[in-house]
Amino acid sequence: MISYILRKIVSTIPTLFGVTFLVFILFNIAGGDPALRIAGKYATAERIAEIRHQHGWDQSLPLQYTHFLKEIVTFDYGTSDVTHQPVRDMILGGIGPSLSLTVPAFFLTTLIAIVIGLLVAYFRGRWVDKVVVIGCVLGMSIPMLAYILFGQYFFAYRLGWFPIHGFEMGFPEQLYSVALPVIIWVMVSLGYDVRFYRTAVLEETNQDYVRTARAKGLAEPRVFLKHVLKNSMAPIITNVVIEIPLLIMGAFLLESFFGIPGIGGITIDALNNSDFQVLKAMTVLQSFLLIFGNTMTDVLYVWVDPRVKLS
Amino acid sequence: MKELTAADEANLIEFAVPEGRSLMQDGLRRLKKDKLAIACIGIVIFYALVAILAKLGVIATPWDVKVAGSYSPPSFQSLPLIFGTDNFGYSVFYKVIQGARVSMSVGLVSCMISTPIGITLGALAGYFGGWIDEVVVWLFTTLSSVPSIMLLIAIVFVLGKGLGAIYFALGITAWVSLCRVIRGEFMKHKTRDYVLAAESVGASHFSRVFKHILPNVSHFVIIDVSIQFMSAIKAEVILSFLGIGVQGQPSWGVMIDDAKLELSRGAWWQLAAATMAMFFIVLAFNILGDALRDALDPKLKGHA
Amino acid sequence: MRLQLTWGDIAAKDITMLRRLRASALLPLSLFILSACTHAKKAEPANTLHIASPAKIKGLDPVQADDLYAGDEVSRPYEGLLQYHYLKRPYVLVPALAEALPIVSKDGKTYTFKIQKGILFQDDPCFKETGGKGRELTADDFVYSWKRLADPKNNSPGFWIFDGKVVGISDWHNAAQKAGTADYSKPIDGLKAIDRYTLQITLTQPSSQFLYFLAMPFTYVVPHEAAEFYGVEFANHPVGTGPYRLTESTPGSKYVWDRNPTFRMERYPSEGETGDQAAGYLADAGKTLPLNDRVVMTVYEESQPQWLSFMAGKLDLSGIPKDNYSQAVSASKEINPELARKGIRLVKSPGLDVTYEAFNMLDPVVGGMSPRAKMLRQAISLAMDHDPAIELFYNGRAISAEGPIPPGISGYDPAFKNPYRHENIARAKDLLAKAGYPDGKGLSPLVYLSTSSSTDRQLSELFSKMLANIGVTLDVRTSSWPEFTASIKQGKGQLWGMAWQADYPDAENFLQLLYSKNARPGPNDAAYSNPEFDRLYEKALTLPDGPQRTAIYQQMVKIAAEDAPWVFGVDRLIFDVVHPWTKNVKLNIFDHGWCKYVKIDPSLKK
Repeated sequence: MISYILRKIVSTIPTLFGVTFLVFILFNIAGGDPALRIAGKYATAERIAEIRHQHGWDQSLPLQYTHFLKEIVTFDYGTSDVTHQPVRDMILGGIGPSLSLTVPAFFLTTLIAIVIGLLVAYFRGRWVDKVVVIGCVLGMSIPMLAYILFGQYFFAYRLGWFPIHGFEMGFPEQLYSVALPVIIWVMVSLGYDVRFYRTAVLEETNQDYVRTARAKGLAEPRVFLKHVLKNSMAPIITNVVIEIPLLIMGAFLLESFFGIPGIGGITIDALNNSDFQVLKAMTVLQSFLLIFGNTMTDVLYVWVDPRVKLS
Repeated sequence: MKELTAADEANLIEFAVPEGRSLMQDGLRRLKKDKLAIACIGIVIFYALVAILAKLGVIATPWDVKVAGSYSPPSFQSLPLIFGTDNFGYSVFYKVIQGARVSMSVGLVSCMISTPIGITLGALAGYFGGWIDEVVVWLFTTLSSVPSIMLLIAIVFVLGKGLGAIYFALGITAWVSLCRVIRGEFMKHKTRDYVLAAESVGASHFSRVFKHILPNVSHFVIIDVSIQFMSAIKAEVILSFLGIGVQGQPSWGVMIDDAKLELSRGAWWQLAAATMAMFFIVLAFNILGDALRDALDPKLKGHA
Repeated sequence: MRLQLTWGDIAAKDITMLRRLRASALLPLSLFILSACTHAKKAEPANTLHIASPAKIKGLDPVQADDLYAGDEVSRPYEGLLQYHYLKRPYVLVPALAEALPIVSKDGKTYTFKIQKGILFQDDPCFKETGGKGRELTADDFVYSWKRLADPKNNSPGFWIFDGKVVGISDWHNAAQKAGTADYSKPIDGLKAIDRYTLQITLTQPSSQFLYFLAMPFTYVVPHEAAEFYGVEFANHPVGTGPYRLTESTPGSKYVWDRNPTFRMERYPSEGETGDQAAGYLADAGKTLPLNDRVVMTVYEESQPQWLSFMAGKLDLSGIPKDNYSQAVSASKEINPELARKGIRLVKSPGLDVTYEAFNMLDPVVGGMSPRAKMLRQAISLAMDHDPAIELFYNGRAISAEGPIPPGISGYDPAFKNPYRHENIARAKDLLAKAGYPDGKGLSPLVYLSTSSSTDRQLSELFSKMLANIGVTLDVRTSSWPEFTASIKQGKGQLWGMAWQADYPDAENFLQLLYSKNARPGPNDAAYSNPEFDRLYEKALTLPDGPQRTAIYQQMVKIAAEDAPWVFGVDRLIFDVVHPWTKNVKLNIFDHGWCKYVKIDPSLKK
């Protein structure tokens, strides 16, 4: 088992390299020259050369790439030229606010989606099922921006149920300040999740052992609770696990509309200001989280299901 | 080795692919029975028609003329005023139609770019295996590990903004899911009897890949395209909102973005019109995607 | 965000890939992280001022404060030698930390400042020797702070204000650059603390703009203890002499400033410009500043929440989001009746800026000083009329710019009419023919650079339409803002749109945009070069504000209009909306410290 995990980890190395290389190409070669921006409106050729030299942008590309790899390994991305903050501090500072939005939102969505998904799977084919499926598709078809604009205007401004904007630390202000964005998140993702869990459960109901159980004359509720439910927890858990690392990345639209100083908002600011140092760090971070989530899911598969071969 | 005649080839396909043929036909038959899916196809065709007519300049042209005062609410006095006007007094109805043109073209062109890439790479990797497979797998694992929004942004940044960059950026990033599926299917199919039979009568690799296996996995392409098309439409809206989307012509994303402030003065119609326009096409593709999957993918039969 | 970040994958979640797992794997539910902030929320003073910024704040280090928002923010904890009079127009400098305006030597090169005695830095743990008590400000602190501006490590975008102007400072910078580290103990000849309270600055040549620099946020005084103690974190830990001290912050997004208990005695001005008395600006004359106990500054990156927060009374004043103008202001440029009913009023001020389309003066076709190129530029100027844009894009919040100097700046001549400014197709065609391009024949499409913001894009469409009238075509190339600036600094086009906002209230700040020694990558993007213009510019630099200098400025404007290195655009106006309980709001783009004058009357708040 341990050797399998190790092999899995080793197998991610080419991908990790690919990602760092892609990110490096995208931001260093294709991304333009930040020295001109840093030098400001009263730039002189001398100052621009100084800035290039200071940042090592006059070095050869392989050397710059090595430096970039070193930044990744040491998790020290230097100081942003735009915010004048250490990039590491920016990331660490943004994780808290992002998680305080995404964690409740994600678990709330998952919980509701699983409950609804199970219910409609049980009542599959009946009108409850059809109404929910159509409702999900309807919900998925409305852009998040529309939810935000409407929610902010109607529930926060007109009705005054939620703060329009702003983020407070501490309990319970924090919950209050993220309440509306959390609700919007749930509204937007519920459709996807309910459909997903419904399908996952349904796939289980068509398995042979379920048919056997039914053939033995077991009552449907019992079959459902005893067999289907138990076995369909597996794909559900996998689906949840793969998403967890990404919660750190926040939600940029919600963050910028509701003034939550999280990772998503920091990324968008970096984008608007061509702050490549931050963009590079964020892209690498997110890629690594994705790879980490995938690897974790693979390992989890094998751990809980011995039928999957350790190949 | 003797050359195959066209008749031989035809026979071979006829002989080899009954499963596929019947699958497609069977699927289409089932799809025809699904009234909701037929209605959705109707919606998609309607949007496509509107887009083509707008492109040809038959309807909703010119859109950038004043038809009434700034922010006139919807009225039934005349067709251009049915969804009211924006702050320049332009017809929101015309802008929605022009937006359909942009959205449909984004969906179409990006799929036209991503689908061939996905099919070719997936087929090559699945069929040949070995180092080709490893390279392709590495390529799509890497690409799918970089957050797609970042990739899109970086590509648009390099190419400069505008519709062309959006087509390209969406096309070049969206092939991964199709490639993954096609690769898996090819791995399964390449050892099937009908492919081995084709090989034994001397069919080239090319003909085995494109004439024999591909028709048998084409339903995955149809399902994937229906999903990609919708994703592309949604992505266009996000990119436009970030200010790196369509430039200088109305699109639903730009309209929703513009509507950010109109709402607080009570001008809800531009947001509503763009959202509704987008809502129906995305809804249609969502339902259609499900229906296609149910109809064409035997593994999921009976799930809906 | 999940939805957006994986837009392709979620929809295509591959359901067939799922395998069964045993239910024994338990959900790691331990992820609920709610930061256990213990400090209870302190009650907010009733006279708290709530303001907004549309962009994130790029740190609180004065040497980095190169935009309006950072400039405003660093002006709460920090101060400089001089500041602008809050009410008087045209703008007048008054002492801040200095006792009075400086004594200037006869040759105009040496400035001697007396610094107020007994000014204290805010209490802060960085003052270890005094156990956290803020120490007294001395002349040495200015020397230190301005060396920071020249320190290559800081890469300050504000170093230009001293570079080449203060004796010895450029050498100090270059030595530090060469050595890799700056030696703060090394003296600079032109920057001396004569005694504890006397500061002497020596310039390489007389400059009538130099005093304005000393009111800019770059020159604010910081204690070396703080910069050394906090290191890279200094941008989050301001320690100054100013009216407020930072009590709570989310770096970049939100700052809570409380009245600084050790702030020097400063009073609200007792005189202003004509009309200020009637407008109620002098009601608080003589009162101790700041007039409020707390300032809460929140960044609103989206305009909908900012506008809704203002309307809900959560913000005491607000700029009018660009796209939102027509909601707030009626066609007659007055406050919309709907808002007026709530008592909301409109505050207007000239934006002190100019927009223009610069020709690439090094380009073989449109550039250079040959009569042919000049006539081509004049023809284009006559066809590319910005007047329709005033209504279409600025909602009437702008006036035609006849020359480089905007109104509100001394040297602006309201009588001057640019002969090539307003549309005249017949004359344009005539000039175009004389330039050798009858009806545009023989002229390849002009490469026009623009940013891809929708306004810029629409503007370029308008210009294309206009130039088509004389047979000239535009090849419009759009890019992102950073990419666009890079392109023009490298001269990758023939024509591009730009705007310049004043750094200080002197026409020189606009005329230097056409001075040949400031050619790109400097502020003279066009790389315009006219020896006569240069000669006049250099002459005016040494002259004090007065009729003689104004006459030279007018001459320079005429030359620039005739040579047409720019197609002159518009001068914009700024509008703010203010709630009835917010008093003393007078827009002032230079005085970043305006918050201390603003009063909140809680009794008027419902």
